[in-house]
Order: sequence, then structure tokens, then C-alpha cells
Amino acid sequence: MSHAHTPGNGGADHPAAPMVEEITDFEVLEIAVRELAIEHGLFTAEDHRRFTEWAESIGPAAGSRLVAKAWTDPAFKARLLEDAVKACKEIGIDWAEPTGFGTPSDYMNLRVLEDTPTLHHVIVCTLCSCYPRPLLGMSPEWYRTTNYRRRLVRWPRQVLAEFGLILPPEVEVRVEDSNQKCRFMVLPVRPEGTENWTEEQLAEIVTRDCMIGVALPRPGRTADVHPMHKARRPVKGQAHSGEAAHESKK
Amino acid sequence: MPRSKPPEKSQPSAGKARFKVGDRVRVRDLPNLFYSRTQMYVRGIVGTIAACTYQDVIPEDEAFNRDGRLEQYYIVRFRQKDLWPEYPFDNDTLQTESPERWLEPVDG
Amino acid sequence: MAARKELLQQQELIGSLQPALHVPQNWNYEVDGPLFKAYMHTPHDVGGQFDAPALYEEKEEEQWELNTYVTCEVLGWRGIWNSEERRRRADNDLGYALYLGLPYYGRWILAAARMLVDKNHISLTELIEKIAEVKARYAKK
Repeated sequence: MSHAHTPGNGGADHPAAPMVEEITDFEVLEIAVRELAIEHGLFTAEDHRRFTEWAESIGPAAGSRLVAKAWTDPAFKARLLEDAVKACKEIGIDWAEPTGFGTPSDYMNLRVLEDTPTLHHVIVCTLCSCYPRPLLGMSPEWYRTTNYRRRLVRWPRQVLAEFGLILPPEVEVRVEDSNQKCRFMVLPVRPEGTENWTEEQLAEIVTRDCMIGVALPRPGRTADVHPMHKARRPVKGQAHSGEAAHESKK
Repeated sequence: MPRSKPPEKSQPSAGKARFKVGDRVRVRDLPNLFYSRTQMYVRGIVGTIAACTYQDVIPEDEAFNRDGRLEQYYIVRFRQKDLWPEYPFDNDTLQTESPERWLEPVDG
Repeated sequence: MAARKELLQQQELIGSLQPALHVPQNWNYEVDGPLFKAYMHTPHDVGGQFDAPALYEEKEEEQWELNTYVTCEVLGWRGIWNSEERRRRADNDLGYALYLGLPYYGRWILAAARMLVDKNHISLTELIEKIAEVKARYAKK
């Protein structure tokens, strides 16, 4: 529960962390809007706490398990491609959480895009940042930038190369621009050298970037390495990057 | 305290889907005013229906919180060379979603 | 005079935030078709626009950013607005300068504030009084 006690969250018994810097305009605005909404009964502090708890529980590990299971169980893979939301339930991911009808922004139309040796999918949302949060957690910051959104649909191979992924011309690159109510996840090809691996071993190499389509899984690659921009006042116990490793920018 | 409001999925069905997988369609170029969920870069371009997905509220209605009318949505596949004439790789494709009213049939 | 100086600096900054058409456009009797279309273009529709390669970095999430995400979603959960009103309309209604200039969740929280006022859930006077009060509350600490 403690995570929800942020400045102004009605917790006089939980003083805010010592302010090393002045509170920013966005922090002020966030507190003002939240407090007014609660005072006017638009939602309750308990609603906010419950949703926060859910938001802090999601992450890319669920997607990794899903892919690993699809790689080892052909019947499960068939069910996953047929009805991904239903298949998610089999690994304990319920898209109806946390409200009973899903989140207001993620809907319940997940589609899994299966890669083959001659077809590679990569996902973007040019209009905003649509992303399968219940399965992969919060989207990475770069996915939300106008830069990625501008360029991926028109220069996908250049952008992929900047992520370190260079694909031969005979592989069809298929960009999925997620602009309505479907949410997408890439099911990569199981790499060579993983024969007889357990699902747990396989899940370790299925990183978030592999499920967006900007990286390919391979033995020994267990983290998405990007520079990290540090927060001024980060979410306590932040685990949004999942198992991804980060290089400090400084 | 307002009650929790599930998305309204109980509206009358939009009826039979006008297009089927494999049909060739052109994205309409309707005027832009206040709001759009149809990207500029696909407008006027011919693609192929890759999937009939779901029925849902019309985007332009939903953006102004009017609901009640549903329509069929599709995933449409385009050749990158059709979208960007300078695109150098013949096989590459792009898919995006579209509601039925933004698509028109292409003969042949 | 310090206040005037600040005002002039602010005006200069606001001027620099305007969409850069690089033509005078402050007394337009007519707007031709292409320019009208450009004006009507929604800022979020960026697919295919030119941009240079950039460093794709991760960002640690600020507490206010998570709170903003949750506030916007809970407002949706309780039927106050739907996601489309936020991400594809309210965000765009901020205009080019703010759409491109604000942090990702800065757009969200401004859109939420605007919506609550537009839909008469709160009054603008309430909101600005509350902002002033919150600022004062944390200034004391």
C-alpha cells in the first residue's frame, strides 16, 4: 500500500520524501487534479490505490513466459494465435483486470504476430503509444517518442539497424501500426541452440524488445541494453523495466 | 459516487462485414477536422484486407463520447512500395487497422 | 521593472514555441487550401515525417507520471471520459507547440485537467486555487 502514498495522496501520516529540489509544475498539477477528482467523488482514493497496485504488478515477464510456452507446446501456440486473450489466461494473465472489463486503454483484442524465417514483424503506434500493457507492462520511453513513431513506418530497416538488428532483404519486414483497438505482440522464431531448453530457460532470452520486434532472441542475450534516463523522484521500488538491464547514462 | 461503467458492447450489431480477407480496398481521404484516427500516410492508398477483427464504436463518435453506433474493423496490409515510392525493398509490408467507413472497394 | 523583463522573456519564449512556418501569419485574411489542410492536421499523426536518428533510451518513471497514468485510467474506469477522448483528441487539442514540447505524461495530466473543467466536473477557479494551494503546501516544507 505504501507505494500510493505520494505527495498529497491524503496521507498526512506518510510525509513526502525530503524535497531535494523544488516540486515541479507537473507534480503540482498531478496532485491538484487527483485531489479534486477525489474530493468531487469522481473516483475514490481506494480506486486509485487498486489501479496503482495493478499497474505495478505488470511487466514483460508475462510475455516472455507466453512465448516460451508457445515455443514448446504447439497446441498452446495454435490456441494463442486463434484467441490470444483467452490463451493469456492459461498463464495467469487476465485482460479483464483490474476493473472486471479490462483497463480503459488496452481493450481486449490482443493479436500475436508470428514471425517465420522469412517474415519479421515490428510494432509501432504512430498516433500515440498503444501497447499491450497487461502482457508487457508499461511501454518503454523510446516507443512513445515522435522520433520512433515518425520513422519506423517509413524507414523500418534503418530504425531496426539502430537497435542492432540487420535483416537480409529476402526477409519481409512487416510493420504493424497499432492505431485502433487491437494490441499486438510479436512471437519470434525460436533460435537455434535452444534445443532441449526448459520453458524457464527459454523465457530468459525472450526480452521485451524481442516482443516489440526491435530485437531477436538468441542464447546468451537475456537483457535489452539501452541508456537509462534517471528520474528525479522515481516510483518507489520501480520494476517497470522488468528484467531488462540498463546502462547508466553518466 | 458514479458507478463503474463497462464499455458498451450491447449495441445492435453493425451487420455483415462488407469486406473479406483478400479484398482490395482503398483508404478514403476524408477531410481532417478536429480529430482523426486514420493516418495521413495511408489515405488514398490501396491495400488488402488481412483480417476482419471486431465490431466497435466509430472512432469519430467515440472521440466525442457519442456511442451507440458500431461498425466492423479490419486489419489492412499495404506494400511499403505503395506507401513510399522511394522504398527500396520490394517485399516489405505494413499493416494497420481501419473501420469500415474509411475503406472503399477497389474493382478487379 | 523585473516583472516586465520576465514578461518580455516569456513572450519571446512563447513566440519561439509557435509552429515554424517561417512566414508572417498574424493577419491572414485568407488561408489557401494546402495551408488550411496543414492547420487542420492533427499533431499526433506523425508517421512518415522526417527525423534524424536518435538515441533510443529508457526512462525511469517519475512518481507523478505513474500517478498521472493511474488518474487518467481511473477517470476512464469511472466513466468520466474514454481513452479516445484523451489520447487522440484532448492531447491533440493542446496544439503543436504543447504536443511536441511537453513530456509524455505532461500531455496526459493537462488533458485530464482540461476535460474536468470542460465537462463541468470542476470549475477553473477551483482548479487554479487548488494549484496555488498545493504549491504553497510544498513550498513550506
